[in-house]
Amino acid sequence: MLFGVFFVLPFGLIVAYSFWVTIDYNVVHHWTLDNYRYFFSVSTYIHTMWATVWVSVVATAATIGIAFPFTYWLVRYVRRGALQRLLLVLVILPFWTSYLLRVYSWLNILGDQGAINRFLQWVHLTDHPVSFFLYDRPAVILVLVYLYFPFAVLTLYASLERFDWDQFKAAMDLGATPRTAIVRILLPQIRPGITTAVIFVFIPILGEYLTPQLVGGARGVMIGNLIVNFFTGAQYTRGAAAALLIAALVVILLIVFRRSLEVEDPYRA
Amino acid sequence: MREFEVVSPRARLARVLLGSWAIVIYVFLFTPIAVLVLFSFNANKYGTFPFTGWTGHWYAQVFSDYQIKDALYTTLRISAEVTVVATIVGTAAAFPLVRSRLPFRSGVRVGMTLPIMIPGLLIGVSLLVLLTSVFHLQLSEQTAVIGQAVYTTPFVVLLVAARLQGFDPALERAASDLGANRWRSMRYVVLPLIMPAIFAGALFAFTLSLDEFIITLFLIGAHNTLPIYIYTQVKFGITPEVNALASLLLAGSLCLIALAFTLPIAVRRMRRVVRA
Repeated sequence: MLFGVFFVLPFGLIVAYSFWVTIDYNVVHHWTLDNYRYFFSVSTYIHTMWATVWVSVVATAATIGIAFPFTYWLVRYVRRGALQRLLLVLVILPFWTSYLLRVYSWLNILGDQGAINRFLQWVHLTDHPVSFFLYDRPAVILVLVYLYFPFAVLTLYASLERFDWDQFKAAMDLGATPRTAIVRILLPQIRPGITTAVIFVFIPILGEYLTPQLVGGARGVMIGNLIVNFFTGAQYTRGAAAALLIAALVVILLIVFRRSLEVEDPYRA
Repeated sequence: MREFEVVSPRARLARVLLGSWAIVIYVFLFTPIAVLVLFSFNANKYGTFPFTGWTGHWYAQVFSDYQIKDALYTTLRISAEVTVVATIVGTAAAFPLVRSRLPFRSGVRVGMTLPIMIPGLLIGVSLLVLLTSVFHLQLSEQTAVIGQAVYTTPFVVLLVAARLQGFDPALERAASDLGANRWRSMRYVVLPLIMPAIFAGALFAFTLSLDEFIITLFLIGAHNTLPIYIYTQVKFGITPEVNALASLLLAGSLCLIALAFTLPIAVRRMRRVVRA
């Protein structure tokens, strides 16, 4: 019950807020669609929203694309038991360390004062910091992949580990090439796992604030940054509308994919 | 080991390629952290490349900085409170989830795990609005505790629920057959069985709370936790001092997580030894 109070109630409130108006820093209970109209009337905001979706899609695809061959290797080629568990734990370990620090650690490498730039100057390839590596979308995507990689491996591992590899061998015995066996036998069976991984990676990225803030610069802005700006600027109702756009997207995704989601407990690994 | 005796050259190639891919991934995962730790010992006062020599100076500075000390105490206070709240609420919530025949049980289940999946930003702003405009609370450490508890409780629920589901319900029936009332079977049978999970949950909650950033940013008001302090410093660029502090924090959470993973196993082993 208590949980409901602190979880469901706030969201109801955000919904209401998004339809109210802020006048002179006070929220007035007057139902209107103005906040949404305002949001969609500013081209920068629309642009940011599309950029957010685009970044999330690319980062999610990259994460899964990188994680799948890895997890496949881990399950198929590493001896089951202590070694496999250890290798898995090593991947998941960063997930349990500070999220802020994991973003921050990239500044040491990519930043104006970071290792790459310093190195380039040191070997006199350039005499001023190249901000190519930082403050743009590629940097944001790189760091996002880094952040959410453990999520993807964990969910993919859970489904690959349960897969009956004898079927795989049977397919090959019947003349299937490895590729056919993967595409026709393996992938259809672990589809729920892949969907879960996509959702688990995609949803948090949609609401990402810190990564674009620290490594994204002006060109890497995502919708999370807009929301924070609205709220720190006391434009509560507009912020609520922007937040609700993300929340709506999240809920739609969850409803569409609810059948194929496998909610795994994080401890099982 | 699974048998793949018939190893064609192509299969071997696939194996080598995938293996190298795995190595690339481990490098990718640990390079940033390694660089961070390395630079925290770097004598170069810009905290970056080139590496000019080893020093423990930045660590000494971290330990003598009163702002950091202040932020550390705030962080520990908040985390301790969050741990207590999340552990009690989470354990209590796990029981109806596993035991009762609640209507919409799977719905409730998904609902409980939602805070893990929902972006923290949304939890932060919605709680901000609720606490300040509806309950008219001042932002303080306590509001941050509420926010972090919403986020960490589901982890405890998941752990305890998994354990509750895992043990043999016949044990409980046996206890009541032997004359134990509900309280006694709870106290002497159920609790000892789920204790490792509760403990692990508490440790997870504590670790997550130590590192929590975005929800805290919205709810803490004028105070500083360590992550918030680091964030304000990072805005002005990298300093070797922040690298040192970050390394310490990383080491701290790694120790806690190692504890959370190994403790339940250790406890079980110890019990077995005691019984024998």
